[in-house]
Amino acid sequence: MTVQPVYWTHYIAICLFALGLLGFLIRKNSIIVLMCLELMLNAANLILVELSMKNGTPDGIILVIFVITVAAAEVAIGLGIVLNLYRIKGTVELDAFRSLQG
Amino acid sequence: MTPEQIFFFIFGAFTIAMALGVVLAKNPVYSAFSLILCFFGLSALYVMWGATFIAMIQILVYTGAIVVLFVFVVMLLDLGRGVSAHSHSWMTVLFSALGVWFFSVLLLRTFHHSPATINAGGFGVDQIKTISNLLFNEYLWPFEVLSLFLLALIIAIYALTRPEPSETTPNREGRGA
Repeated sequence: MTVQPVYWTHYIAICLFALGLLGFLIRKNSIIVLMCLELMLNAANLILVELSMKNGTPDGIILVIFVITVAAAEVAIGLGIVLNLYRIKGTVELDAFRSLQG
Repeated sequence: MTPEQIFFFIFGAFTIAMALGVVLAKNPVYSAFSLILCFFGLSALYVMWGATFIAMIQILVYTGAIVVLFVFVVMLLDLGRGVSAHSHSWMTVLFSALGVWFFSVLLLRTFHHSPATINAGGFGVDQIKTISNLLFNEYLWPFEVLSLFLLALIIAIYALTRPEPSETTPNREGRGA
């Protein structure tokens, strides 16, 4: 095997990001769309951790902590919006949300 | 292959399989539980890179707070009856897949042309000490901004989800748009 594990992390992160992006584009359920956003953020976190540990500088770890905080905030406010939309429309399918001031 | 590489391969394949489960599951509850297992696999990958603190944070914050929030909302909304057939056209799927494929190839080329300098400095043992020194000295200003951001978030979520006093029926407008 000539493939280094260094590159395997890149492959894993790219696969995670591609899966998250694909789910973000083709799924209709808004909760699953939010989950796919989490997948994309985690792919970025994996690259950051790998480069930070490889170079011996902890700056990437700090950035990962900030990303996790912002991801938690994003999920909380996104699910709040989904709850409100369900209260108004009675569904969470993205195709049902077509009107402004709905 | 060394045992380290074998474990790396196993955890990476597990993570990607669970991410596939998140995207492909019809029921949102299955997606949420696949997301939990995917985050556990990612945490194992962080441990294999030596980032034990981030692995703990990953399990505590992501699977302890974020995915539990997802599961809570899915079970609150009672979505089991409304699982509709996926009615997107093949054009949407085809061009989404093409775009994602091009983007992945671009990312792959980018990472393979990046300089792979390994300093092997290592901050393994007193990792939390190193991280907190950096966080409270050099990154103190972003940290404080983040705390203000969280305060604004609390106010925003309260304003979003407080119950309206005049609202009696859950569906005011019915199902049609």
